[in-house]
Amino acid sequence: MRDNRLARLAFLGLPSLYLVVFFVLPLIAMTVLAFWRTENYHIIREAGLGNFHTLLVEPAYQTFLLRSVVMAVAVSAICTGIAWPVAYAIMLYGGRYKLLFTLALAVPFLTGEVLRVIALQGLLGPMGLINAVLVHMGAVPLRFLMYSNIASAIGLVYLYLPIAITVIYLSLLNFDARLADAARIFGAGPVRTFFEITWPLNLFGTLISVILCFIPCLSTTLVPRFLGGPDGTLYGMALAQQFAESGTWALGAAMGVVLFVVSISVTLLLFRLDLRRSGFSGLGRA
Amino acid sequence: MTDTSARQDLPAMTATDAPQGGRTLPIRALATAALLLAVMAVVYVFLYLPIVHIGLSSIAKNHTFPYPPRLTGKAFADLFGNQLYQRALGNSILLGLGSALVTVTMTTMATIGVIRFAGRRARYFVVLFVAPLFVAEVLVGISSLVFSGLILGLPGNLGSAILANSVHCFSYALLIIATQLFRYDWRLDEAATVFGATPVQTFREVTLPLIWPGLMGAFLISFILSFNNLEISFYLLGATPTLPSVAWGALRYGVKPELFALATLVNLVVIAILIAMYLAMARGIAKFGHRPERQRAVG
Repeated sequence: MRDNRLARLAFLGLPSLYLVVFFVLPLIAMTVLAFWRTENYHIIREAGLGNFHTLLVEPAYQTFLLRSVVMAVAVSAICTGIAWPVAYAIMLYGGRYKLLFTLALAVPFLTGEVLRVIALQGLLGPMGLINAVLVHMGAVPLRFLMYSNIASAIGLVYLYLPIAITVIYLSLLNFDARLADAARIFGAGPVRTFFEITWPLNLFGTLISVILCFIPCLSTTLVPRFLGGPDGTLYGMALAQQFAESGTWALGAAMGVVLFVVSISVTLLLFRLDLRRSGFSGLGRA
Repeated sequence: MTDTSARQDLPAMTATDAPQGGRTLPIRALATAALLLAVMAVVYVFLYLPIVHIGLSSIAKNHTFPYPPRLTGKAFADLFGNQLYQRALGNSILLGLGSALVTVTMTTMATIGVIRFAGRRARYFVVLFVAPLFVAEVLVGISSLVFSGLILGLPGNLGSAILANSVHCFSYALLIIATQLFRYDWRLDEAATVFGATPVQTFREVTLPLIWPGLMGAFLISFILSFNNLEISFYLLGATPTLPSVAWGALRYGVKPELFALATLVNLVVIAILIAMYLAMARGIAKFGHRPERQRAVG
């Protein structure tokens, strides 16, 4: 019994302590810094709401936040919309190559954001593949493909589509297909079976995939910097600048708090959907 | 990484299935199948087009439109000749190895802890352990920078970058190891203990040989994620160059063929690792997730 308690302390305590020290405490530190201020690259440790006031009244920051939210909503909707048919197709027609198709998704996912942004420049850039093909065929190059919000959106979809497909695929993998079969046997058409059985029973996985697209898109820093245009600044990119060029750490920390709060609110909002009615029966169902 | 050939005992999921009565497939079902497969094909082309394109560009003299490519090794020669890239590669490998080691140690303990020792409170621990998945990378980066730089007064270095990256990899690794450990039969451990093995002996001689594929997968994924990371490492590394940060710096002066060469090399390494994983799983050397034979024995 004593042994067991010791083991529990070690196995649960150590990882928890590690996460608290290196994950939770830093987030608290960032929140504290958000209430301090920066003057001439020095941090003044006085509590105040100055940073949040700046973020609230400066129209530029409002625009960045709004643009980021719109972008994140659009990209996660597009990703989920594309991911569903792809995951479903792998499930239905993948046969013995299912594993190959899922691992193939990991290649773009694991290559790292910088290298993928480089690859996207090869595709979308002024001298990139698409425009090169168009010029080759004697057409006019498409200007909106580079340095625009559309380019940023294409880039973000490219970055987060693999994870969206993987999550929905995993959800479908754990879905008891016999339920859909039962619905068909009792006379439901394929459309009705999908919307009354398959979709609601995989809603939890779908929400996870939406959130895993939404959160990184909301705070993306690299993509808008290289694919976005002059009016393509997103909130994450503005935040990164506070820590780099401008040196206004306190304001940056306040922006970080805003991003954190928006991400968590959206997550909680989505999970407030009545999951039990959706058929989600808890984490315990292996 | 779960075993995707699962549920062989169940009928395949067939939404577009059995024609009622006759043997002819209904046209509508065929159209659905065609549409689904078309979307799937387009998506895979979209995902791989840039990778293949820059791969060709990196070995072509006519690198803006390498169709057909006129071969040259100049981009790779530039890449290998550059001292900065070599230093950066060394740092990136250190960062990846360190972060993967920390991550796998912590997540293995966390998973065993949740499955064996948490009992009713498991859900609270699970929430803490998957929380990093829901916090954007850049926030992990700047909050670690603020914490170590401002509160503790430590300058950023490779060590703090390793720790911050391992926090980001923690949840991914946890999920991979959990798929393996959920299927592990803990009675084997008890049997070993009954026959007099110490806990360390039990782990080394019974548990580890059976769960290593999960740990290996988690190690590789954490290594690759940290190796390629910029958004976290950037804030914590100070002047230490890593491959992503050097590539990022070079990108400001426009895309050069040597960057294509770098991306292609990394892609090839990732593909090689994944092919090795695929072969190991397909041949049954490493089994991830579902193990039907054991399931039945336990149930």
